[in-house]
Amino acid sequence: METSPADFKKSAVRAIADPRLQKALEAVYNGFYKNRLTAAAATDRWEEQREQGRAIKAHVIGNLDFYLDMLATNVEKNGGRVFFAADVADANAYVLDLAKARGVRTVIKSKSMVSEEMELNHALESVGIEPVETDLGEYIIQLAKEPPYHIIAPAIHKSKEQVADLLAEQSGGTRFERAEDLTRQAREQLRPAFQRADMGVTGVNFAVAESGSIVIVTNEGNGRMATSAPRIHVACMGMEKVIPSVRDLGLFLRILIRSATGQRISTYVSMINGPRKPQDEDGPDEFHLVIIDNGRRRLLADAALRESLYCIRCGACMNACPVYRKAGGHSYGSVYSGPIGAVVTPGMTGKKSANTLPFASSLCGACREACPVKIDLPRMLLELRRQAMEGGAEQPGDVAKLRDDGGGLKQGRDDRKSVQDVSTLAGKQREVSRPGKKSASLADRLMWKAWRFGMTGRGRFDAGARLGRIVLKPFSRRGWVRRGSPFLGGWTVSRDFPLPAERSFKSRWQKRMMGRGVPQ
Amino acid sequence: MSDRATFLSTIQRALGKLEGRPVPVAPSPESGLSVAPANLIREAALVRDAMARDAGPLLDALAETARKGSWVVTRAGTHEDAADAVADICRRTGISTALRSTEDIFERVPVDRTLASAGVSLKVMARLQGGAEDATGSARAALRQAAFTVEAGITGGDYAIAETGTLVVHPRRGLSRLISLAPPRHIAIIERGRVLPSLDELFILERETLLRGELPSSMNLISGPSRTGDIEATIVQGIHGPLEAYLVLVG
Repeated sequence: METSPADFKKSAVRAIADPRLQKALEAVYNGFYKNRLTAAAATDRWEEQREQGRAIKAHVIGNLDFYLDMLATNVEKNGGRVFFAADVADANAYVLDLAKARGVRTVIKSKSMVSEEMELNHALESVGIEPVETDLGEYIIQLAKEPPYHIIAPAIHKSKEQVADLLAEQSGGTRFERAEDLTRQAREQLRPAFQRADMGVTGVNFAVAESGSIVIVTNEGNGRMATSAPRIHVACMGMEKVIPSVRDLGLFLRILIRSATGQRISTYVSMINGPRKPQDEDGPDEFHLVIIDNGRRRLLADAALRESLYCIRCGACMNACPVYRKAGGHSYGSVYSGPIGAVVTPGMTGKKSANTLPFASSLCGACREACPVKIDLPRMLLELRRQAMEGGAEQPGDVAKLRDDGGGLKQGRDDRKSVQDVSTLAGKQREVSRPGKKSASLADRLMWKAWRFGMTGRGRFDAGARLGRIVLKPFSRRGWVRRGSPFLGGWTVSRDFPLPAERSFKSRWQKRMMGRGVPQ
Repeated sequence: MSDRATFLSTIQRALGKLEGRPVPVAPSPESGLSVAPANLIREAALVRDAMARDAGPLLDALAETARKGSWVVTRAGTHEDAADAVADICRRTGISTALRSTEDIFERVPVDRTLASAGVSLKVMARLQGGAEDATGSARAALRQAAFTVEAGITGGDYAIAETGTLVVHPRRGLSRLISLAPPRHIAIIERGRVLPSLDELFILERETLLRGELPSSMNLISGPSRTGDIEATIVQGIHGPLEAYLVLVG
């Protein structure tokens, strides 16, 4: 089921027409969305903690070289190994070489979005190693051979009946009905994998620079299994996941978990500080941390998009987004969906096909309001629309003018310099980067000129509104211009247009106020 | 150039910084990194004082949040009562085999005796360890097998957290990672005076441990039984970890 971001509209139309899917998506709203609001209201100093989290992330991302260096040094001090991967090919090569060198036959995986970026399962299978997803949702979609639907709830789109079929096929027949029994069945199916696996691959929710730790948040216990039972643990993280101090974990766990599911805390939080110590009873003999870039450098280099790297992957923006809640996760055709996906997908890949995603938003601002670190997603969606219209790549001159909100670039001069460097970097890495000044068509430009002419004079505006009513009246019904009218064809495809009123507000107001004097 | 140097250079170029060894930066004032070690040690001492001073109210608060987090909570007045409570849980739920950790708490809470009289066959963690090969090879396999076959794992805990209803465990000698995870039931005992107000206090103590150079290999925060909502968003208790989690509070 390969989909591309370019097909967003088509996929979304299909999703909207699917009543079963729409019902599943309601759960996102009724569950996660409402739970987050309740949890936020019940947390002391919630707003203050969001601000604090944002400030810490801004500082770290602005000094990412320093904090990643500190992290790597401390992981190594604890006896772990660190590999820095520029792209997914590097990351996969490292994991595969390691697995082959250690004679690994089965890999158990705990939820990791980065491993989705890597398509690690596919890579492992290609060399004859069995990957087993252990998060129940991920397991279900692995059986269904689909990508995850939602960061937090990968199989939210699957009905109980579909899950029952998938699990029954795996067990050779027994088909259960209730969610409880199905969950038990999956437990039984996955237990042997935990016992036989030689390698556990996990994601990382936070990596702590000062201690060389990684922190994994789960409810199921699969993250703990993957870091307890096998002899090798490989953790994969995007380079933005680092935070400075152990002391910051209270804050970040709180805002992450409460924004993700609305729980006070997830059932399990595991802090892993390296391989097992000699005196430990169990735990992996080896700990490897793979830190991946995979295009994040492009977000880092663009001052206008940099704050997308503050993201802690809670999924709150998706749950809040009216577009995601109708179009669904698969419509985005990318690893990351929803508002944050619509920013990072074109931002990281620079692919033209992803330029549709920033337009898949009503810019209502619900995502910004939901974000635990107050990422200004609507601003970035607009910026990406601008970049898309101008040829798909950031223009050095424009980047310099854009305001950076404190992500470590304190001096404007440095800012400008960074942009110069970026442009050389971009020249090497980007296939196409054409100047986008003249990309608007002649018709577009004429239309904007006429619009401007009409909007900038009171008399012209009023005359235009009157003319509009006269022209549209024959095509309207009960005050609305509907689909299929010869005018406003594009507009009325997805919504009706109100017929301009017989008498404008201005003229009614004037009449009402006549003789009363000017209201104070 | 190493993968690390190349990677860091790329980041430095993207940030518009000079390439080379990263230049140290002053920590952000919002981050815990800005708290100097001497101050942190003072903070940690205050946390311990508060943990002792407010022991009663904190234990009450824990009982409430733990129940909300789906722990089955039992309160025991004395260590003897706690041992009886553990045996009761086994009787009630039909547990006949259990694995317990080796921790200080079991010197005070005589579960070995009460479980024997309840007819539970009890394995004790450290005794599983082989000689020279320790937790590698066959000893590891035996341990893994035990954790995957017994009906309950019984542990203490280093702290509990009132804010979140959480048990804090640092796996170490005598206390495996799997004992509180693989068996279908987990029974944990926590004493009055070990309850912290919130996650923030826990991480002050953890940072102190780090600065002393004594950070253990891992830490687990456990807040009730394992659960999932992955099938039609229905919350089901018991997926990869325990189906049921029992918390016995002493004092």
